[in-house]
Amino acid sequence: MEASGYVDIFATKGIEYLLVIGFLLALVLFWRLLTRSTPRARGVGATAGPAPWFSLASDRFYHQGHTWAVPEGRDVVRVGMDDFAQKLLGQPRSVNLPRVGEIVEQGEKALGVEIGTKSVGLLSPVGGRVLDVNEEILRTPRLINEDPYGKGWLFKVSVPRMAPTLKNLLSGKLAWTWMENTVVSLRGRMAGELGPVIQDGGLPVSGFAKELSPEQWDEIAREFLLTE
Amino acid sequence: MSDPRFVPATMAREARSFLRFLLGELKPKGKLLTPFNVISLPVILLGAALLVVRFARGLGSITNLSQDYPWGLWIGFDVITGVAFAGGAYCITFMVYILRMEKYHSIVRVTVLNGLLAYIFYAGALLLDLGRPWNVINPVIGNSFGVSSVLFLVAWHFLLYMIAEFIEFSPAVAEWLGWKRIRRILGALTLGAVIFGITLSTLHQSGLGALYMMAKGKVHPLWYSEFIPILFFVSSIFAGLSMVIFEGTISHRVFRSQLGPAQRLSHDSIVLGLARICAGTMFVYLFLHALVFLHGRRWEFLDTSLGAWYLLEMIGFVLLPLLLFTRAVRTVSLPLVRVAAVITLVGIIMNRLNVSVIAFKWYEAVRYVPSWMEIVVTLAVVFAEIWAFRWIVNRMPVLRPSPAWAEEPRLAETAHLKLVKEA
Amino acid sequence: MNTMNRRVFLKTVGVAGAMALNSGAARGETESGNDPLAVLVDTTRCAGCRNCELVCAESNGLPEPDVMDESVFDEERKPSETQWSIVNRYETDVGEFFVKKQCMHCVQPACTAACLTKAMFKTSEGPVIWRESKCMGCRFCMISCPFDVPKFEYNSPVPKIQKCQLCWERLQEGERPACVENCPADALTFGKRSELIAEGRRRIYADPGDYVDHIYGEHEVGGTGWLYLAAVPFEQLGFRADLGNVAYPRLTEDFLYGVPIVLTLWPAFLLALARATKQEPHIPNVEA
Repeated sequence: MEASGYVDIFATKGIEYLLVIGFLLALVLFWRLLTRSTPRARGVGATAGPAPWFSLASDRFYHQGHTWAVPEGRDVVRVGMDDFAQKLLGQPRSVNLPRVGEIVEQGEKALGVEIGTKSVGLLSPVGGRVLDVNEEILRTPRLINEDPYGKGWLFKVSVPRMAPTLKNLLSGKLAWTWMENTVVSLRGRMAGELGPVIQDGGLPVSGFAKELSPEQWDEIAREFLLTE
Repeated sequence: MSDPRFVPATMAREARSFLRFLLGELKPKGKLLTPFNVISLPVILLGAALLVVRFARGLGSITNLSQDYPWGLWIGFDVITGVAFAGGAYCITFMVYILRMEKYHSIVRVTVLNGLLAYIFYAGALLLDLGRPWNVINPVIGNSFGVSSVLFLVAWHFLLYMIAEFIEFSPAVAEWLGWKRIRRILGALTLGAVIFGITLSTLHQSGLGALYMMAKGKVHPLWYSEFIPILFFVSSIFAGLSMVIFEGTISHRVFRSQLGPAQRLSHDSIVLGLARICAGTMFVYLFLHALVFLHGRRWEFLDTSLGAWYLLEMIGFVLLPLLLFTRAVRTVSLPLVRVAAVITLVGIIMNRLNVSVIAFKWYEAVRYVPSWMEIVVTLAVVFAEIWAFRWIVNRMPVLRPSPAWAEEPRLAETAHLKLVKEA
Repeated sequence: MNTMNRRVFLKTVGVAGAMALNSGAARGETESGNDPLAVLVDTTRCAGCRNCELVCAESNGLPEPDVMDESVFDEERKPSETQWSIVNRYETDVGEFFVKKQCMHCVQPACTAACLTKAMFKTSEGPVIWRESKCMGCRFCMISCPFDVPKFEYNSPVPKIQKCQLCWERLQEGERPACVENCPADALTFGKRSELIAEGRRRIYADPGDYVDHIYGEHEVGGTGWLYLAAVPFEQLGFRADLGNVAYPRLTEDFLYGVPIVLTLWPAFLLALARATKQEPHIPNVEA
């Protein structure tokens, strides 16, 4: 038997509207919590760190194997390794560059570095004939660590088909996103422990591959440099 | 250039080599005596045996279903929860094909495959639960369309959705079989199938909730509301994506050999992105629940044992994983993402079972508890689905890249993905 | 005269318009059988002889219950897969009463709306019947029925749904339902629903001390075909008082009405979005 009488079917509407307003405010706050603040123009790295972990030169074209290419003239490209790679490896004992006149292929192993007793290869970002190599770094390998985008350049290549070659490389925003993803993978391997890899200054230790795994750092390095 | 006189001969030769290829594909790949095989095969066989009994002697012979509890574990878990877990397919296809979030492109195929298999096996488990399954064609062939029924809609959507998913997945089949022209045609159908699939999913994810609208008075007020369809739909988003995270973690380990180094590295940021989406969706879901809580004056029911159970579901298995996902995204911790995903999945199981079984007719003296035979059949269905998944992934380009002839027109975003030569 | 004609005209138009709107045509409904066949159960007259149980079983080929065994009254029974109609005994302050329970043959049945194969079927005459050839055994009718009426043969490989059919076959031959025909206490009255409600009201007004002023089933769940009179509040006789007056199919109405809208809006919106996000391939600028 139903009691007949006035039933206010909208009794809770007022509170519901208040809840919705509260939700919209909370949503904005939660959104900011979830999406990290955009990194500064030059570097990519930790959310809460003061300085970016790895820098990217903005005018370069990057290969996922952490080497860069920059056009110089109509069909010449200068090649080097990026900040991530040099920090990953640390200071090399020696560098094995391709010989002038040698043909290199885009995405194929073109050079190697020796660190300690192990050696690790890197992929060439472009394909073509090697025109020139940087003699300086053969004498002073640490130039790679000091200035990976400038004095630490590796070799120059004559690239017959510039546009299709560059089309395959990452630049601008894509390079940015790729570096962010690399940091995610790196942090995934750090298992939440920042200490061994990141110094007190907030920057990665030089040669941090060794911090991740003293015995098998070269395998980790190869995994990131895509030369497995 | 074939001489017309020899065409029948070349066709026969091609047919024979194709048959040889198919027979070759039927052979098992990989070890036979893995721990998983040793456990799952007996369960599958036992489940099949139990099903023979069930069809010979009626549902009551192996289930604990009763006049008070017409639907039990098979509907509540296999169908209703299983379909929620398959929600990853419509979410990922929406993200990749509609929103063009290319970052997730590499997991589209495996997610669609999982969705297709989930519907075939779990929605298919519905057939095992029917008392008179030979009449299942009635609502299909137009003999009698009960259009007033939500179940009619759900059944039709399952059927159409399986077709849409199959179309979405069929390019992989065409690549496996080497059918180039068909592969091109199927590729062109993808967007249509995706749009169809997203629309259907919206309706049947919510439709599974709408099934209980007429069970007013039978589902406890803490779980019953007119908003069940919307809540089921929203929760299917993070249920599906959590399953993508969970299953992706396992697949990437089991099928490691098929993945290239770039793919393995990019998976981490994919998982992180999915965690972010789950967190956002769960945040919205919690507020929807708060609205329904107020609207239904649910505070009146909190000081009962079911009230405590309700709070456990909401706080321990929705709020907690939401917080874990958020923390994991901010500290870039992949292990935490995985933990949060598992807790979320358990929470979804709880929610769906609550509506369909646990809080259903909570006032009865004798409650429904599934029999061990129902559980075995459920496990057998799950294992069989995993077997099918493994068979397909080992043979078709799902995780491994497509053959070169099947290249899709490249955008700058995806060009570099092909750059590193795979072994 | 003019004002009278104008008033009559406006009234007629107004009533006709109101009827057109109320008829539900705007909501895409159709009506058939405004005045279904129904049964009035007067629980003050029922003596608990259970003859109705016996003839129901005889008439429908079900196992015949032992109606001499009074121990069945010790517990509150429900209809089962072998018994479509049962009589329960209730002890109240006013005395003991016997109540016959069976399918309520609702005016707008939940089971019929739930059935996806139209196996559960509301005939235009009123009774809700189950058609074996169409049923797939999904048991959604059982989930939806507010009175938990349909029963399922779980132990048969060819299971049937068992519930009162209001002697549909007998009705086709112009006879009354078996239970009504054979009630010695005249507790069951068969006829058109509107007439039975009028009869029920008449009995209440004639003897207000003997009856609670309510016909159970007049409005519950939108109205049922089995109507009950009682001397005590209906909760004391095993009736649910919390079912509300809304016909159960209305509970899924909002969802089902939304389906064509989603089927229209979603594809259009998704297509537009896919077009809007379309990107052209990007070729990087190369410095000369």
